[in-house]
Amino acid sequence: MSGRRRLGRWLRPEAMVRVLSFAVVLAAYLLTPVYHDHSLSDFDVFNTLQGFASLGLIALALGLTIIAAEFDVSVLGMQALGGVLAVKAGADSGLLGVLAATAACAFLGAVQGGVIAKLRIQSMSVTIGTYIALLGLTNVIAGNETLTFTNTGAAIWINQTVASFFSPRSLIALGVFALVMLVVGATRIGPELRALGGDRRAGRVAGVPVDRRLTALFAVSGALAGLAGAMLAYSNASASLNPGLGPLVLAAAAAVLGGLSLRGGRGAIWGLLLGALAVALLEQVFTVTALPASSAQIVFGSLLLVVVVVDAPDLRSSLARLQARRASMRQLPHEIKPKAQRS
Amino acid sequence: MRVALEQRFGPLAEWRSPRGLFTGLAALGLAVLVVLALTTDRFLTVENIKAILSSASIVGIMALGLTFITLIGSLVSLAIAATAVMGAMVFLAELHLGLVPALAISMAAGAAVTALQGLIIGAWGANPVILTIGAGFLLSGITTKASGGVIVQPAGGGYATLNSTPLGVPLGVYVMVVLALILQFVLKRTVLGRRVTLIGENREAARAAGMRIPRITAIAFAIAGASFALGGAFLGAFNKGASAQLEGTATFDVIAAVLVGGTLISGGRGSALRTLAGAIVIATISDLLLLRGFNTGAQILLKGVLVVVVVLATWVASRREGTA
Repeated sequence: MSGRRRLGRWLRPEAMVRVLSFAVVLAAYLLTPVYHDHSLSDFDVFNTLQGFASLGLIALALGLTIIAAEFDVSVLGMQALGGVLAVKAGADSGLLGVLAATAACAFLGAVQGGVIAKLRIQSMSVTIGTYIALLGLTNVIAGNETLTFTNTGAAIWINQTVASFFSPRSLIALGVFALVMLVVGATRIGPELRALGGDRRAGRVAGVPVDRRLTALFAVSGALAGLAGAMLAYSNASASLNPGLGPLVLAAAAAVLGGLSLRGGRGAIWGLLLGALAVALLEQVFTVTALPASSAQIVFGSLLLVVVVVDAPDLRSSLARLQARRASMRQLPHEIKPKAQRS
Repeated sequence: MRVALEQRFGPLAEWRSPRGLFTGLAALGLAVLVVLALTTDRFLTVENIKAILSSASIVGIMALGLTFITLIGSLVSLAIAATAVMGAMVFLAELHLGLVPALAISMAAGAAVTALQGLIIGAWGANPVILTIGAGFLLSGITTKASGGVIVQPAGGGYATLNSTPLGVPLGVYVMVVLALILQFVLKRTVLGRRVTLIGENREAARAAGMRIPRITAIAFAIAGASFALGGAFLGAFNKGASAQLEGTATFDVIAAVLVGGTLISGGRGSALRTLAGAIVIATISDLLLLRGFNTGAQILLKGVLVVVVVLATWVASRREGTA
């Protein structure tokens, strides 16, 4: 309400993390001409947004589950399945392919979410299994071969330049973000989502339909990942059968840079958007500076390590304990220290 | 009716108990497996059984180590493949010192980088999944840089020993079985093993009992890291070289073996012998599908479904046991 309280909200560590990290990455991006022989052009912005289109929806799919204190590893499998389904079903109509991929992944996600909700089981273990199964299903459907997308019309359409910075692909990704932001921000879904992650039992008592929300959450997560896979396959004009762990790393980096707490219950969609944009910017910086892939791996790996340690629940208490011990050591006179008994 | 049935088969309630459910599912799965095995050509031959064991061995060695991470309540590591590749590279590069020193250095390196992750997780409660993804990515980047992006070649001939087949069975199979027995002993008969299990079962109780959780977590991770590197050394020896390409699907194969064995993912319940069984079951099923002409996609699909089913069954069983 008052100005100070508002300021206080912005100074909270998780808000600081997302604004600061985005600012640092943006600065690194804008300063590329200074430390590297490269002048920024419209095309750089376009490319950054293309990168965002590839990782943003996966980050959103994973991030929504993280806010609810779940962890959906199966987004990797949904992405692969979505790509193959879209390429198969979209040979004649690109739209049909995308719809088929999104709907199928939403359905599988709903089944998965229903089981997780019903059994009240930790989602990571189940989604690791479904991830493996989905990769298998993708291979079966594709006949163990990388599929080429024959609908060149749709492939060209999705990557065409719109208003010099955008493409239909990045606009769809941004539109989906806006839609989710609206739904989470303006309806009861937002607080309910955070209640799932914060204190699920209290949420249940307060009347949150926990099981239905969890089912819907995993359906949305599947749909987003399927859509991302479909659009990526169109854009590459081929569907890869195994995305590897890379997309999960980028999505997790976007989530933690976006200020999501890995313990759940905290986080906002706009933070997630900033996080995904920050990761896309970082990737673009690596591209224009021609940084080798291994260096990019080192940067993203270290980034995750740093953020996960800062996010660790026991870090503060253990540092405080250490400080207290040091302080008490200083106060103790030397004579009181126990001496070695052996002689 | 019920009385008659109970007289014959024991109390019905027992069949509905968690142990009963689990045993029932396992028996059903085994029955299907046996029928398939008997009706599949060339399955029940000595050569094929050797092939199954040898394909289980490398994943099995690494999965035995991962069991410690899962048991202590740190879920899984997603840095398995990266650690194994590092282990393979270090092993091959140090072979000029001889087989045993190269293996020792490789395992020590794997233990060190993994123990560090365990220390952070144990001391500060950091999220093990994200931490190990980050560590794995970092490790991959570093090993690619250190190797200059080329395939690391063996610096000596000692690697051939790892590919040897005493009495017709690959050495890796012996190592897997011996490792399983040693780790089973450590888990069930030593103080360390009891502590690992207790921390996984109830971290707060373990803390209240004054256990040094960071140190024990680091030791559990060190055991896991050493076995990832050992598996990697076998992988490198088999391929006569090591590069990032070696990572493949190792991480999820290893996780699948632990989970299919029936070790509870949230920790506190499981054993090395279960993991050994999990690795062998997965290898057997893959082999059966291969012999029956299914492609790799179907093998991966079935593996995933199996993981989901066993994870759910283990969870239901453990929960009922808890409330009973």
